[in-house]
Amino acid sequence: MQKRSIISTLLLALLLALGSTALLADSHGGADPRAGQVEQAINDAEAAREKAGSVDGEWRDTAKMIESARKALAAGEYDKAMKLAREAHQQGVLGYEQAMSQQELRIPSYLKY
Amino acid sequence: MKKILLTCAALILTAGFGTATASTPEEDKAAWDRFYQQRFPNVPEEDYNNGVYTIDKVGRENWEAIEEFPPYEPFIDAGREMWETPFANGKGYRDCFPNGPAIAGNYPHWDKETGMVMTLPLAVNNCLEANGEKPLKYKKGPINNILSYIAFESRGQVVNVEIPGDDPRALEAYEEGKKFYFTRRGQLNFSCAHCHLQTVGMVLRTETLGPAKGHPTHFPVYRSKWGTVGTLHRRFTGCNKQVRAKPFKAQGKEYRNLEYFLTHKSNGLELNGPGARK
Repeated sequence: MQKRSIISTLLLALLLALGSTALLADSHGGADPRAGQVEQAINDAEAAREKAGSVDGEWRDTAKMIESARKALAAGEYDKAMKLAREAHQQGVLGYEQAMSQQELRIPSYLKY
Repeated sequence: MKKILLTCAALILTAGFGTATASTPEEDKAAWDRFYQQRFPNVPEEDYNNGVYTIDKVGRENWEAIEEFPPYEPFIDAGREMWETPFANGKGYRDCFPNGPAIAGNYPHWDKETGMVMTLPLAVNNCLEANGEKPLKYKKGPINNILSYIAFESRGQVVNVEIPGDDPRALEAYEEGKKFYFTRRGQLNFSCAHCHLQTVGMVLRTETLGPAKGHPTHFPVYRSKWGTVGTLHRRFTGCNKQVRAKPFKAQGKEYRNLEYFLTHKSNGLELNGPGARK
């Protein structure tokens, strides 16, 4: 009887220790896999923004979006941060494509020479 | 409203674009003049220096009422004081600009020595720095006072931007300005030409799109939106932001070359700055 009670107590202590460790890890944000994903998405957006900027194709709001995504990530608002990062990435990609499509000067046909 | 936007979008999407053509600045100017002459056959050539009020009758009435008590007057007075106040070394603006203050008609011009387009605001700051003074900011603030005074004193001078043939870099700068003008940019995918050539005279929200010809003659301008006087490059910045593109640096190479190209298209028009706009 006593042996059983000791084993039960030990098991309970072990479970409590594991539970509190998990809680602690969660409260520090280190274990949430989304944080890493968002950080990667922000880095991708920043790279796309820089690439667009290298050909003078950066759009007005891209840098602001990345900044907002960083703030949202710091506040633990992963969904918001991911949405902003993805949008900024898309803007960077499109800005680069737009600038590349405009490399050649084309005079509109309504100007008659 | 929806109809207007749809029409604009359709025009922009369906507009034909020719291929790159090597045209001289004179041929460009003639093509622009022809375009505006056909678009607005009743507008006298010399009236284009009034910007959008050349073609917006109601706007013109309001503007003429505003001009009875010009909101830019205090800026001219402040600029006159700047012009007459010596620098710390005892020299002044008149030492840099002996023919001043009526010198706006000399700008922008190609500066062979530095190999770049020289604009009036840049020349003002060069003067300040050469005399140990702090340069002025290029978009807002006191630079607009001195520019307003110079513009006012230069009224009546005729725009005559030259692209000198003895320095190929001048034509290069002009071509870069032209390329900028026709380049789509920003999230809205607009070029300068979309608003001020192709859809000129149409209405975007409440604003009539003004002709490019005559745009630079009346700067700096007092804009009611700004509540103060601002420079041409501040306006370029605003245009780029409106199409949701990241703007370039005021007095950087991009905007200086754009000013060179754009002002060439106003050759023959009288300077009438500072102006007043919505």
